[in-house]
Amino acid sequence: MVNIETNIQNTKYRPEDIQGNIVRGYNFKYVRHLILEVSDVKAARRFLAASVSDDSGDVPSITRETSWKKKPESCFNIGFTYEGLKALGLSRKQLASFPKEFVEGMTKRALKIGDFGESAPETWPAPFDQPDRVHIVASVHAKNIKSIDGIQDIVARSFNVIGVRDGRALDKGKIVFGYVDGISQPKLKHVHDPSEDKDDQPINPLGVVLLGYPTRLEGVLFSLPQPEKELGFNGTFNAFRVLSQNAAEFETYLTEAAEDLLKHKDIDHLLPAKEVKLFGKGHTRKSAIREIVAAQMLGRWRNGVPYETSPDTPNPDPEVSLTNFNYGYKSRCPVGAHMRRANPRGGPIVQHVANRTRRIVRRGMVYGPDFDPSKPDNEERGLLGNFIGANLGAQFEAIMYDWLNLGLQHPDITGSNDPILGANSRETSWFDLTLKNGGKIRLRGFPRFITSRGGAYTFLPSIRAVKYLSDLSG
Amino acid sequence: MSKTEGWFARYVDTLQSRGWFKFVSKYIVVPYWIWRAPKPKLPGGPRVSPQPSDNIQRMMNLIMPLKDPSPIGRATAVSVVAQNVDEIFAGLDNVGTVHFARFLLLDDKLCMISAYDGDFSNYIRDFIVTVGSVFDEIMTQIDGGDDLIPTEHNVEKFIEWVHEHDLFQAPDYPTHMFALQDEAIGREPNKPPHMIQSLPRDLILQLHANPNISLGGGYRSYPGFTAAQVRDKFGVGW
Repeated sequence: MVNIETNIQNTKYRPEDIQGNIVRGYNFKYVRHLILEVSDVKAARRFLAASVSDDSGDVPSITRETSWKKKPESCFNIGFTYEGLKALGLSRKQLASFPKEFVEGMTKRALKIGDFGESAPETWPAPFDQPDRVHIVASVHAKNIKSIDGIQDIVARSFNVIGVRDGRALDKGKIVFGYVDGISQPKLKHVHDPSEDKDDQPINPLGVVLLGYPTRLEGVLFSLPQPEKELGFNGTFNAFRVLSQNAAEFETYLTEAAEDLLKHKDIDHLLPAKEVKLFGKGHTRKSAIREIVAAQMLGRWRNGVPYETSPDTPNPDPEVSLTNFNYGYKSRCPVGAHMRRANPRGGPIVQHVANRTRRIVRRGMVYGPDFDPSKPDNEERGLLGNFIGANLGAQFEAIMYDWLNLGLQHPDITGSNDPILGANSRETSWFDLTLKNGGKIRLRGFPRFITSRGGAYTFLPSIRAVKYLSDLSG
Repeated sequence: MSKTEGWFARYVDTLQSRGWFKFVSKYIVVPYWIWRAPKPKLPGGPRVSPQPSDNIQRMMNLIMPLKDPSPIGRATAVSVVAQNVDEIFAGLDNVGTVHFARFLLLDDKLCMISAYDGDFSNYIRDFIVTVGSVFDEIMTQIDGGDDLIPTEHNVEKFIEWVHEHDLFQAPDYPTHMFALQDEAIGREPNKPPHMIQSLPRDLILQLHANPNISLGGGYRSYPGFTAAQVRDKFGVGW
């Protein structure tokens, strides 16, 4: 019999066995992702054993999902690539029990997830130019950089640190394109996250994010790495991505699009002159159109207000919920908008059984210097993203391939890529803006705004599984 | 070049039809090359491509060996398909990305042939979510099928199994096969370049590894349109 709580006999949901930052976020100011190579397997195992023991000495303890009474100075978490698990000594048979996409690794799945052309793994800088050496991505979240430095020093005693990526949170969780991000995450059964209290999207079974629980796909269970109790259960998978976001090109394109649209015969159906005042003080018709283009491309205004429930203004009065809305046949939010592509909610899609089944947890921090739209520069900046789900193929890759980059979910967008994240080129890109009268204006000629600059598929094991890995011999 | 070929050249040209040469080729030369330069079995189904048009109307030729290939076993398989086919086709309607699908019985194999849009894994996964328990009935008739039942609990394994039993789709340009053969053994494609003269030999060796193949990508009368776009155009709902 399957236990009510889990699909593994004699087990229950135990937050203390699950790594932190998976089902609930930390909300720290700083993060550093340490890219590690296992150069001394014995030292690595000793480190892992200490990191999950009651007395870890100076080795950082792996932070667990357990609620804290007082927020710690820093949190430490760890994910392993296939190469990393191999280096730690998992047997060939155990390694073969991992899903194919994880075994192949992010670089071999490049075509599926849009990493070609200027995003191709062959163009990635070190350490991601040598995927065989990327064994572990350890993430330190902290209130200040100093505590991060201290932890890195300790980690470096047991591993070869082949690269680091530093990120930070911008005000209100903004990304470099100026949008407020991280508003909606999948709500999970048994997990209480007060920030989701007002989100009325359906609650997901834990199996969306953790291995060993019922999934969102009716009747379907995802397979677990073996041995399932010791290694697979309570683990999950992560697509760690370094995504360069070209803010200067994005702002330039918005201006170009607004200038073209001002001359368009249907401009009054996009923004009647008398409605410019709805955008607040200081806006011209052109600047307001820029914001409409930005909002329709994403599905939210840059302040986070959903386009679906507030299509005329970023400042609705009365306010609207940031999370509670649905899409329909007559939605004002374009079918091709980034957010609607990635999560079509209950809206009409071609794959009738796929609504709400490809949810992923997104944990992102910004990297690179601040961007000032009034003084645009081309420094590299972007997002260090963790895209977490129990099955990379059924969730992350399924979104990237069919929905973001092919537009298979709706006949009106098929053949186009996501306007924000898609693998676009100026020659072929297109995106349909919706108009008040039900019509459309097609935008063309936008470049690829986001390119991959590194990443890895990692397995985020349970606490018990870290212990299991530390006990390996040979 | 001399205007008249010598007797030896003329003789070589006739080798293909000479009994002794056929015998030597079949029993000595080909087995020798299979031993010396074996080709790995090339993966089934369409290849991943960044081109949107390559990702639409893709062919699946799923060839499933019957557990019992006797006339009785074949008849049983036929009746199991007949009992479940309506439900399976109704399920495909919900998968939403399938243009057509049909079953064939060929000798000792049951085949499911279909054209679908988008990613292969998503197609098979959505198919299992929709009609997995019904398709399990079919799998009871298939050699190796018992290891995959219930398919809903073996989704990843089932996707891989289907991939392995989907026919290799030979490229439309014969020389593209060189690159695929290189990739399959982890070599950089066409480095060094292959001699065109070796194509027949490489094809023979590949047909040893993949005895059944799909010849090219097939014909489409309305390429580049999804099932949903066609249905939308005709107003039949998608």
